[in-house]
Amino acid sequence: MTFLARVPRRVIQLTCFVGAVVLVWPVLPWAIAPRSFVQASPFVALASSIATRSISLGVVVALVVAIASSFKKRWFCLYLCPTGFLLENASHAGLRRAHWWSKCPPVGRYVAILTLVGALAGYPVLLWMDPLCIFSSPFAVNKATNPISVILVCLGLGVLVGATLIFGMLWCVRICPLSGLQDMLFFTRKALWTKLKLSAAPRKFGVARRVFFAGAGGALLAFWARRLGAARYRKSDTLLRPPGAVPEDRFTGLCIRCNNCVHACPSKIIRPDTGHEAGLAGFGAPLIRYESDYKYCLETCNACTQVCPTGALTPLDLPRKNQYVIGEALVDNGLCLTALGKKECDACELACPYDAVKITWDEEQYIAYPVVNDKCTGCGACEVVCPTNPVRAIRVWTQKPA
Amino acid sequence: MRRSISAGGLFAAGSLIPVSSRSADQAPGQSVTQSPIQTETRVPATVVDGKVVQPRRELSVLQKTSILIVGGGPAGTAAAFSAKRLGVDVTLVERYGYLGGLATGGLVLGIFPLYDRDKKQVIFGIGEELMKKLDVLKFGIIDRNKAPIYPTIDAEAFKYVLADMLLDSGITAYLDCWGVDAIVDVKGAVKGAVFESKSGRQAILADIVVDASGDGDMYAAAGAAFEKVKTNIGLISRIGNIDEVDMAVGRGSEDPEHPATGKPSDGRPSKGRVNDFGGHAGNSTPAPQVNWLNMKGPVGDALDIADLTAMELKHRRGTWGNVEKLRQKPGNEQVYLAETAPQLGVRLSRLLDGVKKLTVQDIHSGAKFKDVIGYSGAYANAPEFQIPYGSLVPSKVENVLAAGRCISADFEVADITRLIPVCWVTGQAAGLAAALCIQDKCKPRNVNVTKLQNLLHQQGAYLG
Repeated sequence: MTFLARVPRRVIQLTCFVGAVVLVWPVLPWAIAPRSFVQASPFVALASSIATRSISLGVVVALVVAIASSFKKRWFCLYLCPTGFLLENASHAGLRRAHWWSKCPPVGRYVAILTLVGALAGYPVLLWMDPLCIFSSPFAVNKATNPISVILVCLGLGVLVGATLIFGMLWCVRICPLSGLQDMLFFTRKALWTKLKLSAAPRKFGVARRVFFAGAGGALLAFWARRLGAARYRKSDTLLRPPGAVPEDRFTGLCIRCNNCVHACPSKIIRPDTGHEAGLAGFGAPLIRYESDYKYCLETCNACTQVCPTGALTPLDLPRKNQYVIGEALVDNGLCLTALGKKECDACELACPYDAVKITWDEEQYIAYPVVNDKCTGCGACEVVCPTNPVRAIRVWTQKPA
Repeated sequence: MRRSISAGGLFAAGSLIPVSSRSADQAPGQSVTQSPIQTETRVPATVVDGKVVQPRRELSVLQKTSILIVGGGPAGTAAAFSAKRLGVDVTLVERYGYLGGLATGGLVLGIFPLYDRDKKQVIFGIGEELMKKLDVLKFGIIDRNKAPIYPTIDAEAFKYVLADMLLDSGITAYLDCWGVDAIVDVKGAVKGAVFESKSGRQAILADIVVDASGDGDMYAAAGAAFEKVKTNIGLISRIGNIDEVDMAVGRGSEDPEHPATGKPSDGRPSKGRVNDFGGHAGNSTPAPQVNWLNMKGPVGDALDIADLTAMELKHRRGTWGNVEKLRQKPGNEQVYLAETAPQLGVRLSRLLDGVKKLTVQDIHSGAKFKDVIGYSGAYANAPEFQIPYGSLVPSKVENVLAAGRCISADFEVADITRLIPVCWVTGQAAGLAAALCIQDKCKPRNVNVTKLQNLLHQQGAYLG
């Protein structure tokens, strides 16, 4: 502590901020750096470990942060948090209004409680409010293929900076669930340390009530969202998630919109959902769209599965990723150039890396058409080469369980 | 009764010897004869000990030439025209009664792949010249310079253009003449070819033979190493009174059976029916209300006469059936089958074992060759790629060059190099290389590649 006290806080903050950029960019040849960065948040590490019922090695850093924070109140916020550093500077630049919100309850704690209870039900409801996740997201901007994606990946941090310019440090002090969690860790440690009577802790009746409502709300939201997600998956034809995605009912909850997968994808086929595909619960969650020229889910790449900090995308090695079924390719013979005798075309058959598409001669119909077999993973290689325009004859669709 | 074709016609009256072969610059001593009667006495095959035996006999030499081009398809005609422009003596032999091969007789009317990934045309030279000639004809060619849409030609217009160019070129040509054997010397070097026609079995002696037969009949007969492949064999047809549905716009979403964006229910045969033509078929041609209808066909052996016969018959029956199906759709009642192609759509049969075999790795890695003679356009997932001169030269036999679909390439690559414009590219290069062999008195494998590339440039070819 004496060492820390001597070094100006700003220098540490700046160093951490640069470190964060280096990790997320990622400048390092360390592929999973963006994942490790977001996982350093105890909030993300705890909630995702509860939700997935598994612990990954990346949690160690979060554990250190958590222990440190339980000794010095909001230590992480003050020294390490790059979002906090950014917002602190923004607040200096912004309008210095009276802090009308200073009497607001500490919303962040209840957000944390709600999310952790939701995580117990497999759906960490508001985990996307984690500040490290929000910091990580805009780095995906260089893989955004359209203006809407650009807006979506920058939305979180943009809103925070905007709000801070107007309202000051409202987010950090009151709303941020990571700071809320740190507060709870600190108070809990102190309570245990000083052997305070538990009954003395909630001084107001309101606090207990809020904790109860947050917990109950988290559980209800989690169950509701999971049911909705499952129903949506049954209904949708074009809901394609990146490889390794957990079942749809849990995916929109586990996914924290850090956009690490968008950022990692060399083919730029992953984009944040506008909510058009999976509703409000799926807002900003990654979707696969095969639209850019000749870009598909490469058989030589499993990058997106390696960078997910919460396990929404299960880490898969290359052979297993190449077995993961994103969707299924289906042919509309009413559009297919070969089936209609329009052109000499076997583009889909040539393009398929898994030998899953075969142009097949049908002696009865006396035409040929592409037939997709069970080797299809929905990688989209056929879709992106299909020459029919604008609707492709072979496209990848959501695969429904048989 | 003999019909006399006046000056300008391909053949002089009373003889199968073309006019140009009688010109003054012809070397004396060849079988230029006024008599339609063969000088040789024909000896039929006999049965000896239960085996059919062809007696040994001397063949009449129909002609001596510098360059003999076997096959008058896209590759053969491109080779003939380009070689003739260097002033060498060129003889072209074609099995059918017209020029153009699969581009006319096979009704392969789509001229593709012409463009690279950036929609820039990468095939010029003779092919571009031919298309420019079609440009000025009414109903000659459509969709020129509309990348990524490929041009479509009219078969009759193209037959006309080729006949017109041939008649003016001074090339000696024999049609309805089937190359059946190679003539080789004691060292195994090719010296010409044997032909079968209405005039019987005759020989043409040549310094260089360009094998543009498509099936590699000549180099195979001469003993060159090759790979035999089997692939789909179809039969293209033309159907009349049908509207083209513009695939660039997609099918109208008002079609209740097939909303243009809906998930197809018939993706896999096991899941249900396969859609027959959704009321439209084929692609528009320069002729109004006429579509050409491609057929993939089953896999067959293009060197097996039983397979070929079965396909010819079944394909014509199948095509008629499909047109009847097409007619059942409302609005299509007046659709009729204009013609089935005179030639089967044989895609690949023999692939040469050449000095350089063009591999899949080459085309996907964008390999650059010192002896590049042209480009193929981008096709499906393959980007545009260079074609080396080495892929036209057999690894061992001398005096023969391959052009067209039978050049030295992997099956997957040959599936692209077999296409019409790429055949123009390899044909033109083979023709010029053969002419250089004559001029420089060298073997095809020793051709000065820089000189060849300069000549290709002069003739407008694109080499990158």
